[in-house]
Amino acid sequence: MARIGVFICHCGENISATVDVVKVAEEIGKLKGVAHSVEYKYMCSDPGQNLVIEAIKEKKLTGVVVAACSPRMHEPTFRKACENAGLNPFLCEMANLREHCSWVHERNDTTTEKAIDIVRTLVAKVQRNAALQPIKVPVTKKALVIGGGVAGIQAALDIANCGHKVILVERSPSIGGHMAQLSETFPTLDCSQCILTPRMVEVAQHPNITLYTYAEVEGLEGFIGNFKVKIRKKSKSLDEKLCTGCGLCTTKCPQKKIPSEFEQGLGLRRAIYVPFPQAVPNKPVIDKENCTYYKTGKCKVCEVVCPTKAIRFDQPDEIIEESIGAIVLATGFEVKRSDFFPEYGHGKYKDVIDGLQFERLASASGPTQGVIRRPSDNEIPKRIAFIACAGSRDPAKGIEYCSRICCMYTAKHAMLYKHKVHEGDAYVYYMDIRAAGKNYEEFVRRAIEEDHVHYVRSRVSTIIERNGKYILKVADTLLGAQPQEVEFDMVVLATAGIASPGAENLAQTLHVSYDQHKFFAEAHPKLRPVETNTAGIFLAGACQTTRDIPDSVSMASGAAVKVAGLFSQTELTRDPLIAQVNRLGPPLYSTCVGCFMCQPVCPYQAIEREEIKSRDGKVIKVLAKINEGLCQGCGTCIALCRSKSIDIHGYTNQQVYSEVVALFNEF
Amino acid sequence: MESIRKRAKELLDSKQVQVIIGYENGTSNKVRASFIKDSAQVDKLIYDERCTQNLALYLVKHEVKHLGKMGIVATIPAMRTINMLISEEQVKPENIVVLGIGEDGKLLDFPDLTVMESFLQKANIELTAKDKEAIEKLKKMTTQEKFDYWSNALETCFKCYACRSACPLCYCTRCAVECNQPQWIPVQASKNGNYEWHMLRAMHLSGRCVSCGDCGRACPLDIPVHLLTMHMAEESKRLFGVDSGLSMKMESVLSNYKLDDKDNFIL
Repeated sequence: MARIGVFICHCGENISATVDVVKVAEEIGKLKGVAHSVEYKYMCSDPGQNLVIEAIKEKKLTGVVVAACSPRMHEPTFRKACENAGLNPFLCEMANLREHCSWVHERNDTTTEKAIDIVRTLVAKVQRNAALQPIKVPVTKKALVIGGGVAGIQAALDIANCGHKVILVERSPSIGGHMAQLSETFPTLDCSQCILTPRMVEVAQHPNITLYTYAEVEGLEGFIGNFKVKIRKKSKSLDEKLCTGCGLCTTKCPQKKIPSEFEQGLGLRRAIYVPFPQAVPNKPVIDKENCTYYKTGKCKVCEVVCPTKAIRFDQPDEIIEESIGAIVLATGFEVKRSDFFPEYGHGKYKDVIDGLQFERLASASGPTQGVIRRPSDNEIPKRIAFIACAGSRDPAKGIEYCSRICCMYTAKHAMLYKHKVHEGDAYVYYMDIRAAGKNYEEFVRRAIEEDHVHYVRSRVSTIIERNGKYILKVADTLLGAQPQEVEFDMVVLATAGIASPGAENLAQTLHVSYDQHKFFAEAHPKLRPVETNTAGIFLAGACQTTRDIPDSVSMASGAAVKVAGLFSQTELTRDPLIAQVNRLGPPLYSTCVGCFMCQPVCPYQAIEREEIKSRDGKVIKVLAKINEGLCQGCGTCIALCRSKSIDIHGYTNQQVYSEVVALFNEF
Repeated sequence: MESIRKRAKELLDSKQVQVIIGYENGTSNKVRASFIKDSAQVDKLIYDERCTQNLALYLVKHEVKHLGKMGIVATIPAMRTINMLISEEQVKPENIVVLGIGEDGKLLDFPDLTVMESFLQKANIELTAKDKEAIEKLKKMTTQEKFDYWSNALETCFKCYACRSACPLCYCTRCAVECNQPQWIPVQASKNGNYEWHMLRAMHLSGRCVSCGDCGRACPLDIPVHLLTMHMAEESKRLFGVDSGLSMKMESVLSNYKLDDKDNFIL
């Protein structure tokens, strides 16, 4: 005979204000199988938990139902309390009286009746619960960091400094990311490369970090603590051991007119190139699409001039397989290009550029050596306009969100311009100024008050090119909103930050969820911001949403601590709430017929094949088998199984059926 | 008919197969399935317009399967069934030799199953005019009319499960309705229980049904249960562009997801 204990929580007034908890306890106490039914003001408090522990011991309870808040909040608390009292933690269930009842109804009799119904179903369920044992899985103490921008660099360094091995994979030929492209950083105006490059060098020198540049993650198998990753190291056409990085090849290559990705198309590079002087690793790659040899079969100038004979034209891509225990995703973001804006010239006006291009113009290592010049005629612009929220906060453009970084970098751009062109005029057209951050508001005030940047609250409706000048149609909404036309020499669009190209593909490869804008989704917006819903995969930096450098770096350190915490254990325990294919005696062995419809639906690739063999090794039957380590207990396979051969621990067919029946039948 | 017998004899004599599944004359002018293990018996085999049963049903039966390699007289729906059974790993392609019957009733030569696959790509897999008309009629009904139609049609069902027994794709060793711990679907024939059974059958065959119509023919009460699964087959063609059983590597419509799948039916 079941002896169930029911503990009803007032949750202060959260539940008791609308539900008559005393009546619930009374009515539930009358149910068959219920040996103990009480209510208390705060069940989750120490005295509340002690009520549970004492009752289990005194009344020899065989199951516990705590009727309180959502199991997401306190299920671990009460399962632990049960365990402390000697009851298997999986014999404890929670009835959600708060989110499912008291918060969504008014105080009346039917609310109390619903509360009784909810508890009743759980009392019926818990009688079918089985004592389960947690699953233990080993941990490979090696991390993979995807993306070598500032977030990836920080995460890799932090994990490596905890004494763990790290593999850092970067898609482009050098680490550094967008931060390496920036001129100065807000709100201190210190040189971006000067603060980043020491970290880049540290990555290259760190004994615990293996760096794969010009490489991409192609596949991932396994589960938390036990991932197997496949990395494609694209051919650089170079023997990296022989190459000394002298750079002679990059000065002799006859293909000179390729727009440089690093310079955002404002500068040129050769077909064999190092993206920027401080690149790590500082060794060239051959861009096969533009190389004369790969296109025509002739040239090989780089091979001829190379003093160490390091060029390898026939080098194939290399596939590297590594076992790892955790992953940090730090793939960053991208900005919309000016061709996204038909009203601003559709990318055809040469002097209407995006913020990242302005960074290169302002950078001392940039195509103009830090002098602000118009891309069209190399003249120094006398009047410059900055348009904030270009694309951001614009549902009509499909980007409803605020890109978070533009207000600050626009203030910085305007300031840098004023510092370089003292007699020039800088105008910022803005919707709102969002400068939430330490010293951020002060920075914007400095731009306005000390550097005399003109801030005009207006949205620019159109830009028209006329005789080499750009006419902006604006309306100062703080001064009567009269339509005006204002002439400028150059326009900088603070274009919206968007998810990195390929983010969606990567998310599907790694099985992490992403939002409608293709940014990776965090497990909980407030309490688990650096975790994904896939255990063992963490997020750092702007791949989750656009964010500035301080935020990216702190998020990276947060993700690194999550990884280090995971690696501090020798084995992981996890809830055994997983699916299982039934097994029977011969000749059936299982009701599973091996149609493997379940295999493609499993989001975790947890379904394997199991062969049942006779004594002489002949295969009698092939069944589906669920890998304990991979299964996350989502139950999709169960819905697909025609013969109902799969069941899920903790939510068995029997348990769910009992709940449904309890709802329909009075006991 | 002669060509079928000749080919069957060849296959049995050369030990390429151990059994031929075909049609033979039964009692009272009915045809029935025939299992020929000895080449002396091939003269029993017949084929005429009465031979409509989907013989692929027997490929998954233990009693036939254990005989060894099987030769099967297969009409177009049966060929599609064979592809489905291979896709769902219920039979091994190397264990099957198909004596195909074309639309004209003539024997088709399939040296191996890939030839059958390419034949099916071009074959006529349209429903019969009668079934098509019945489905069109149902489609034109309002929801209430459809509900009334099926309430009326299913009222007499007494759950003999003949539709299940006749279906070559209902091959589970334990059907979901026989799962009694817990008993989600009631055993007795009742209004709701009948609905549950027929909905379950239609769902389980969605994207899999090859529209052979054997379930409807098997029903002793002439309930047109085949219209349910045929309609589901039409729906999976309309929504996902998939006709079941045209290749040996069919990906099940219900358990596969493609990025360009339509999702406008999700509420």
